Amino acid sequence: MIEARDVSVAIGGKRIVANVDFTARPGEIAAIVGPNGSGKTTFLKALSGDLSFTGTVVVNGRDLVAMKPVEAATARAVLPQATTLSFPFTVREVVRLGLVGGRSGVLPGEHGRLPERALARVDLDGFAGRFYQELSGGEQQRAQLARVLCQVWAPVLDGKPRYLFLDEPVSSLDIKHQLIIMNIARDFARRGGGVIAILHDLNLTAMYADRVFVMHRGRLAANGLPQEVLSDDLIEKVFDCRLRVGVLPPGNVPFILPQSAA
Amino acid sequence: MVDQSIAGAAGKLVAEGDRSGRARLVILLLCLVLALSMFLSLTSGASDASAVGVIRDWLTGAVPANAALGARDRLIVYAIRMPRVLLGVLIGAALAVSGAVMQGLFRNPLADPGLIGVSAGSSLGAVAVIVLGTTWLAPLTLALGSMALPLAAFCGGLSVTLVLYRVATRQGRTSVATMLLAGIALAALAMALTGILIFMADDRQLRDLTFWQLGSLGGATWPKIASVGPIIVLALAAMPFMARGLNALALGEATAGHLGIPVQRLKYTAIVGVSAAVGASVAVSGGIGFVGIVVPHLLRLLIGPDNRYLLPASALLGASMLLIADAIARVIVAPAELPIGIVTAIAGAPFFLWILLRKRGVVDL
Repeated sequence: MIEARDVSVAIGGKRIVANVDFTARPGEIAAIVGPNGSGKTTFLKALSGDLSFTGTVVVNGRDLVAMKPVEAATARAVLPQATTLSFPFTVREVVRLGLVGGRSGVLPGEHGRLPERALARVDLDGFAGRFYQELSGGEQQRAQLARVLCQVWAPVLDGKPRYLFLDEPVSSLDIKHQLIIMNIARDFARRGGGVIAILHDLNLTAMYADRVFVMHRGRLAANGLPQEVLSDDLIEKVFDCRLRVGVLPPGNVPFILPQSAA
Repeated sequence: MVDQSIAGAAGKLVAEGDRSGRARLVILLLCLVLALSMFLSLTSGASDASAVGVIRDWLTGAVPANAALGARDRLIVYAIRMPRVLLGVLIGAALAVSGAVMQGLFRNPLADPGLIGVSAGSSLGAVAVIVLGTTWLAPLTLALGSMALPLAAFCGGLSVTLVLYRVATRQGRTSVATMLLAGIALAALAMALTGILIFMADDRQLRDLTFWQLGSLGGATWPKIASVGPIIVLALAAMPFMARGLNALALGEATAGHLGIPVQRLKYTAIVGVSAAVGASVAVSGGIGFVGIVVPHLLRLLIGPDNRYLLPASALLGASMLLIADAIARVIVAPAELPIGIVTAIAGAPFFLWILLRKRGVVDL
């Protein structure tokens, strides 16, 4: 379990995240939604250990601040929004970098084949020999996800759950690959890991998230099950636009339809 | 059928996008190239001394027919050519590997100790010791002896690298434009201060300085190798341990940290290692430019950017190329010799322009 209590982040004297309480449980996808500039990415960076913060973050019972880079790398893998490379790495070489920490959770003998297996999962079969810089934005994003998957290939290691931190994992993907990636996240959670994902697509959030955290102006505006949180009133207020929230019969999954201003 | 199964087996052995096999082969070939370069460098020179003859006599214990000529040849080979070859190997390796590490650190293929002012900083430190060694800095040179020069060069290079890194890196991102421009500014400052020192120098110091600033392996002696050799060997020995970290750093500082790399420690080790290697090189041979940019770039085209292979391959090719450049410098205007820095600049500067033209769009300032 990852528990954040009263987390605040200030950058250059400006408070970007204020007093956020957050919990990610193994077996669940926790989605963070909110308008641009609401502090989602900053909060995820604090959870990743990239930014200093006040408050506490506890990962599997350990204080995040006290964790060494290697320990943190064993407990979670982080997919950033976009990654550019200045050197001509092949896709295989990029994906293999996920194994640098050495705790993927498979036998060392299987490390050689792991990049291919990870690439197959993100629907990039046959891309191993291509140059990363020559891929499209969406393909680069999926190659990076393959790297992240290599790092925490086993969702549970030494009896402890591991976590995927995904910052807008589907933002540059077509709809088929959005579903493939979200299914990978769901599968990771079903096998005992935990997922924290920043999402912009409220419909995908409704379909896949087990718990939704809504951020607004650096604060937590709401959190709970998708059907509780994704209501007309709250969403209209937070996103400052007109929406209609409906419900799809099987499982009562909410769907969100934007209304044109006119 | 048979052909297909062989092709299938070969396909399985070499995974797509995996260049480690080719890299190992290239490193093996580069070992041979270096051995050949060392042999050529040892056997060629302004005098007609036969290194082969000296080595043969040494191996077989034979006494040369003309004892006086034999003694002269032995002196030329042992006291002049051998230290020069060894120094060339050390400095070529140090400069090329420093370039590769610096490029990994700044995440930029254009970073080079010579280009961004690190060598200029080292020069300032070295010139300070040469000019002020008997006056203001006398206690320092007395206390440190022959180590004063390389240490001063190290401190100069380290200061520039640290300032540069602070200026050019914001929130884990290094701006190429800031790095190059700040490098130019720092180099200009270091050169201006060096200029003041040169202004203060006497005639004898002046002649030493001019030749030294253009870069030369000419002053190679065994004592010089003894003073800088250990520093360079130590710095080179530390670099393979950084290879995996530098690979991860290619994805950005934050991501390298997420992968479990202790990024701050890696950065400081790299900066200190590069400053030590460059400082020691500059202290004995002056400013030899472009080795650090040409060698890693060529190798990346050949074996890819994986630092586990790039760093050792750079050491081997850097050493070979400097020996060849030195051989050209010695032969082209024999019996006089050209400063080697001129040779590397004439070959390296157009190469640098070629990289810029080829990479237009990729290297966005």
